[in-house]
Amino acid sequence: MAKYFDVSVEDIFNTMEARFRVEGAKGVNAVLAYDISGDGGGKWLVEVRDDSVKVSKTDDLSGFSVKTAADAETFVGVNIGKIDGTQAFMSGKIKIEGDMALVAASAKMFTRYSLPKKSAVTVQGIFDTLLARFQPQNAAGLDIAVGYDITGDGGGQWTAVIKDGKCSLETGLRDNCAVVNIVKAKDYIDLILGKLDPMVAIGAGRLKLKGDMNIAMQLPKIFAKFEPPKEEDEQELIVIKRNISVDMKYSTGPVMGKFFEGLIEKKIFANKCPKCGRMQVPPREVCAECRCWAGDMIEVGPDGTITLIEIIYYSSPDPLTGETRETPYAQVHILLDGIGTEETFWHLLKNEDLADTQNGDRVRPVWNDKRVGSVHDIVHFKKIRD
Amino acid sequence: MKKHKKNRNVAIIGIGQTHHSSHREDVNQPEMIHEAVELALKDAGIGIEDVDALVHGNMELFEMVHQPDLWHVIGTGGYGKACYRVTTGGTTGATIVGVGDNIVASGLHDIVMIIGFEKQQEGHTTGGITNMADPLWARNLQTGALTGATAAKTIKEFGEDRAKRAAMRLRVTLDKHAALNPHAHRSFGLDYDQIDDLMANSPQLVGELRLIHMCSQSDGAVAIILACEEKAKKISKKPVWIRDHVTVHREETFNMFGINENQEVTHHNAARKLFGRNGITNPREYFDVFEMYDPSSWWGLDWLREFLQLEGDEHLKMVENDEVSINGSFPLNPSGGVISTNPIGATAALRVAEAALQVRGDAGAHQIPREVKHALASGFGGTFWTVLFMLEKDLDWQEAE
Repeated sequence: MAKYFDVSVEDIFNTMEARFRVEGAKGVNAVLAYDISGDGGGKWLVEVRDDSVKVSKTDDLSGFSVKTAADAETFVGVNIGKIDGTQAFMSGKIKIEGDMALVAASAKMFTRYSLPKKSAVTVQGIFDTLLARFQPQNAAGLDIAVGYDITGDGGGQWTAVIKDGKCSLETGLRDNCAVVNIVKAKDYIDLILGKLDPMVAIGAGRLKLKGDMNIAMQLPKIFAKFEPPKEEDEQELIVIKRNISVDMKYSTGPVMGKFFEGLIEKKIFANKCPKCGRMQVPPREVCAECRCWAGDMIEVGPDGTITLIEIIYYSSPDPLTGETRETPYAQVHILLDGIGTEETFWHLLKNEDLADTQNGDRVRPVWNDKRVGSVHDIVHFKKIRD
Repeated sequence: MKKHKKNRNVAIIGIGQTHHSSHREDVNQPEMIHEAVELALKDAGIGIEDVDALVHGNMELFEMVHQPDLWHVIGTGGYGKACYRVTTGGTTGATIVGVGDNIVASGLHDIVMIIGFEKQQEGHTTGGITNMADPLWARNLQTGALTGATAAKTIKEFGEDRAKRAAMRLRVTLDKHAALNPHAHRSFGLDYDQIDDLMANSPQLVGELRLIHMCSQSDGAVAIILACEEKAKKISKKPVWIRDHVTVHREETFNMFGINENQEVTHHNAARKLFGRNGITNPREYFDVFEMYDPSSWWGLDWLREFLQLEGDEHLKMVENDEVSINGSFPLNPSGGVISTNPIGATAALRVAEAALQVRGDAGAHQIPREVKHALASGFGGTFWTVLFMLEKDLDWQEAE
């Protein structure tokens, strides 16, 4: 199985059900499809149903809510944090089809894949400390050689020579060993760390002792217990999360106040600069260009002509509710009738009009039934179709 | 040569910037700032004890920390020193350099360190910018700094294909520049043969403003040390002189979309003033490099025209003919610009820092391949707020008058 950054694509999917976070998937009913190309790739479906998840390898990705396609290396890299996902997406290495918001949401549905911790203890490491652990007082009078035949990955052969209260270590097996320990590397590490009982190991045939059993039994006295090196724990960098929610209130003042009062009466008020004659809507106390009081309030519109449509695809948060806005939607800048040519009025376009409305089209406000003096007294503007 | 009156000359004598990335979770705010401060002091060859005053800037609404300069004293070294705190939106980085320039030129302080930073991943940038709009009306409608208005305007004026192609060509050019800058937050390895694909397939944000056109959100900090002429000449082998800077401000302009296309925007106004009072009649010829605050490729394209006071389609031609590339006749953002690296409170200061590195010849792989004597750097924020700097290698402009 091809691995990238020591992780295979299978590793990611095989652990997905275990990494599922119920609290992150509340209300989600979706099928996430993954089409991973290249060595070690394949097709997977991840079905999230509110509080459950099912991950399956498949040939048929039909019926998905969103499909993510990437090469195996990119996919693994993004999942384990070695590759920046946004970067990969923007440069076209990840392609997303369907409901893109689900991809962002999936980050909340699963905890991040983390590499299984590898043991820091190696067979070589154990033998590197053997001489230091030698206890001469417990080896008085011994003149022996002890062989170790550690098999498999990470193994090797050593001979500890004990004579005159001294110990030396050779690589390789001497022919004249009093006893030879034959054991797989992984089992040997477990034995030394006390995770595997020697009697159990012998009984199961995982530890074979060739030669003098009695000497083998003395070994734990001749050599002090191996203390594994203290694992250098990578410091966890703690991130404190905060969600600030504050009630705010803003005074509107007499000028904006008059404008908001007008909205309640389904009227749009502008004010006029006595010097340059330009109209302002919403009205502002002064004309900032002429630096003078702009007092006269004049009713304008409510119909007008669109000067610019902005179709929004990026879902930004609504600052009033904190909710993500549904996209696409359109903002319109409108020259209201009677305003002159210098000041556009900013509002929203009715969603149903999005497809066939363009600059220059005539629009009219749709009033909210309940008007309180706010931007929402106008629901949106709609295209005039007569 | 004409010059703008300045009480005394001011030079940039030290520059330090952090590694920029979307996630600097490895450090907290003061630690990140400290990286830049340390590098700037080392670059200047002085200690914090030599610094008389600090100017600190970012956007409070992005990280939601009020008066972060107090927390940051442990990273800035500001204990017991004069400290000014400035927050002017995207313009912040340029405004803090402007404040530094002013308080040194005035004679108030001899050596000043300016510090711009942002850790955008700690908050919500678009949410923060949206809260910048007036709460009575515009806030309910705004979508952060995203707008397709300039794209629409450019397409209307020059035709869809030419406009889109020019904006994307500029995008690719700046991505290539960013690839040369080891400090840049991101470079995608784009090439010109991807222009058609990106024009059609990069996800749309607003109208024809696409994801690939838009600047990043970065974490990072920059520190710049300014000194008066007397100190600069003693301390620095390569002082870069701030000849002049101008700042132009206006009321919100949410009310003129789609109309008033002939109204002078602040960039044009700022450049006109700066060039006028310094006797620069042909900025394209005078300046060897321009570090522009380019939040999107559409703006970068359009603003070439505004800043350089160009007519017709000259700005498009500059991009189409690769004049703006690092090897071209008028290199634009050899650092990769804002589009590649955007820790907002630092961003505009990075324009000045990068322009100064070009003047010193110390930009490294993104050094333009000829001598840089005169550099231009801009800042932008709000709906339209401009700061524009001109930097000089020599003090020779003084002699004429």
